Amino acid sequence: MSDDMGVIVRTMARATIPLIGIFGAYVVSHGHLTPGGGFQGGATIAGAGILFLLAFGLSEMKRRYDKHLYSALEGIGGLVFLGAAMLGIGTAFFYNTLWHDGPVFNGEPGTLLSAGYLPIMNLAVGLKVFTGLVSAMAAIALYRRWKS
Amino acid sequence: MIPFQFITAFLMVAIGIYAFLYKRNLLKLVLALDIIDSGIHLLLVSLGYRMELKEPPTAPIYTGYETLKSAMVGPLPQALVLTSIVIGVCVLSLAVALTINAYRHYGTLDVRALRRLRG
Amino acid sequence: MNGEAILPYIIIIPLFGAFSMPIVSLAGRKAREAWAVLISALTLVVASALFYHVWDTKEIIVYTLGAKTPFGQGVDFPIRIVWEVDLLGAIMVLTVAFVSFMAILYSIGYMKHDTGLEKYYTLILILELGMLGIAITGDLFNFYVFLEIMSIASYALVAFRNDTWEGIEAGIKYMFVGSIASSFVLLGIALLYGQYGTLTMGYMAIKILENPTVTAKVALALFIAGLLFKSGASPVHMWLADAHPAAPSSISAMLSGLVIKIGGIYAMARILFSIYSPLANKILEAYNQPYINMGAIGWVIIIFACLTLIIGNAMAVIQTDMKRLLAYSSVGQIGYILLGLGIGLAAYGTQTGEVALAGAIYHTVNHALMKALLFLVAGAVIHEVGTRNLNELSGLAKTMPKTTFAFLIGAAAIVGTPPLNGFASKWLIYESSAVFNPVLGAIAIIGTAFCTAAYVRVLYTFFGRPSERIANAEDPETSMMLPMLLLVLAIVVMGLFPWQISDKVMIPAARMLEQFKFEYIQALISLAGGA
Repeated sequence: MSDDMGVIVRTMARATIPLIGIFGAYVVSHGHLTPGGGFQGGATIAGAGILFLLAFGLSEMKRRYDKHLYSALEGIGGLVFLGAAMLGIGTAFFYNTLWHDGPVFNGEPGTLLSAGYLPIMNLAVGLKVFTGLVSAMAAIALYRRWKS
Repeated sequence: MIPFQFITAFLMVAIGIYAFLYKRNLLKLVLALDIIDSGIHLLLVSLGYRMELKEPPTAPIYTGYETLKSAMVGPLPQALVLTSIVIGVCVLSLAVALTINAYRHYGTLDVRALRRLRG
Repeated sequence: MNGEAILPYIIIIPLFGAFSMPIVSLAGRKAREAWAVLISALTLVVASALFYHVWDTKEIIVYTLGAKTPFGQGVDFPIRIVWEVDLLGAIMVLTVAFVSFMAILYSIGYMKHDTGLEKYYTLILILELGMLGIAITGDLFNFYVFLEIMSIASYALVAFRNDTWEGIEAGIKYMFVGSIASSFVLLGIALLYGQYGTLTMGYMAIKILENPTVTAKVALALFIAGLLFKSGASPVHMWLADAHPAAPSSISAMLSGLVIKIGGIYAMARILFSIYSPLANKILEAYNQPYINMGAIGWVIIIFACLTLIIGNAMAVIQTDMKRLLAYSSVGQIGYILLGLGIGLAAYGTQTGEVALAGAIYHTVNHALMKALLFLVAGAVIHEVGTRNLNELSGLAKTMPKTTFAFLIGAAAIVGTPPLNGFASKWLIYESSAVFNPVLGAIAIIGTAFCTAAYVRVLYTFFGRPSERIANAEDPETSMMLPMLLLVLAIVVMGLFPWQISDKVMIPAARMLEQFKFEYIQALISLAGGA
């Protein structure tokens, strides 16, 4: 028995997953200007992953999902966050040195390239949240099938 | 003005505690934890509500803040609630994973079955 | 050496280790183990430097995240997250780093046959990170975040062996109780924030002094309830007795030795003494102003402590499961520490209170070392023999002499035999409780009698007639023996200089915690001038 949800759901999912992903990416990249940020955007993108899991079934998910890659990406997200926090360690941990005197991300408040380390941190957190939530969902979904 | 949001928040905490004490299904207990958390989040986020300019305050959005007619709500409680929600997600996913595991070992979701450890 | 420059590394290093663990572990298990040991050793080095600095200068380090000063532009109150480390925090940091290092070293041999070890080492580093964060933080919400980091890591680690029903059941119980307790703490923080509009501990103290409202009292009650849950005090100690034996032994050592103290006792001491300053409340009382009766709260803690002390130690006597016995013994020892803390609060301002508080701090450190050692020994026994039922472990002294020796030292220390470290700290608590109220002294002695009975029973088993079950057992490999021997060494060395340590470290720590000159608040406010 196939464990996907039929051709209608699959077609709709194929159409909506990129849109959800793009919206999530927007939320992540505008995290320092609008409500939202790394966690919300990452969770939105993870929603696309979960939709994929539901619509296409576990067997397809298993083919596309690489555990080691995802946990490594999660680690990289965390490391980038930590690195961004350590940029201003000369003054203080989490000191926003990019914003005060850095070469990039120090534009006019309200524009995209402003707010110092915040966009970097949002991207890192978004990556970490996306990979983490997809991994958690995949693990729970894999774990549920102990009988078969 | 009666602070309705506070009453709702404490009611949610009370409902959660009630469910936690009297329900026997593991998933319902997980939901009870989540309801308690949500009540506290509601309390925290409603603490940031400000009515300084006689207009209902808006969300703390940076874009276009110069043209704003009213005050922004306090951004700090929102940051706190966001952090707390993230923590809640962690606890929730761990709780669900443990519940699945418990079902695997015990064949039931009834907490009364989880009594093998004694002494 | 500049204390403020090294303080952030106490968080950065374990965080870096935890985040990079999935990447490092792609290189194989040797790399993973070496990485975990390296990271925790580095943390220990930084922690020692931090402790030495604070002890040397006797000054509170205030570190601001993200700026030079916690005060914002144009406002006269702190708006940023601050970390404040006084001597008590520094002692806790050192203890956490040391015991975590021992536990990670021990895990190399002990967890050899388990799978999913990259998650194990990530979680153990995160657990260490959470505890270190609680010890150094000076901000209420930051404290809650670190508390939850620690708690979530420990729930996951208790249920780490998810192929056994025991781990799952204990994990679920621990998680429900712990989450409820965390919710209480969060509710308390939310109430305080709503009332006073700040989250910095030092500034919160000033605000509470200006206007001690009912909300502050309710919040205090919520904090005490939540943290008593977390520390495993008596009416709610059941989760502890389930969770600590079910975890892998290296984790049991960290849970019993560190988590219940940092997440329960230390946090309670910080909130009671640094946020709800007892001295100021005494002054307010003298001037007929509204105040919070901290003496009564001290008595509440004392009552819980007496219950915990008797029940924990008495339950330890009747256990047949070795790790469960140790877990109940932990409950009993938490009773002593709570007793010291309660007397320190109830008899605030007197010599007795100071001695009791010093005894509580001293016993926290000692018990972390002793209980870590005992759980590591229990782990070695399980590793070699495969059972922890005391009835089947008879005669272990013949086949595992070094392990039995380590257990003998640990048991003697926890009972309070003179040349070892447990004696001095217990003596301080006995002495102060007897001076404060003879009944409390008697209760403390009764608790020790039960405790002695429990450990004598285990030793009797170990030195008894050999059973066939243990015939093939032998002392474990070096990576498991080394942490045990290091802990034995620490216990013996600390036992050789009991009163020096007490006078040089613990009494100053207690005095700094009591803050007769509002040091904790002063350290924060003194930064305002530079802004």
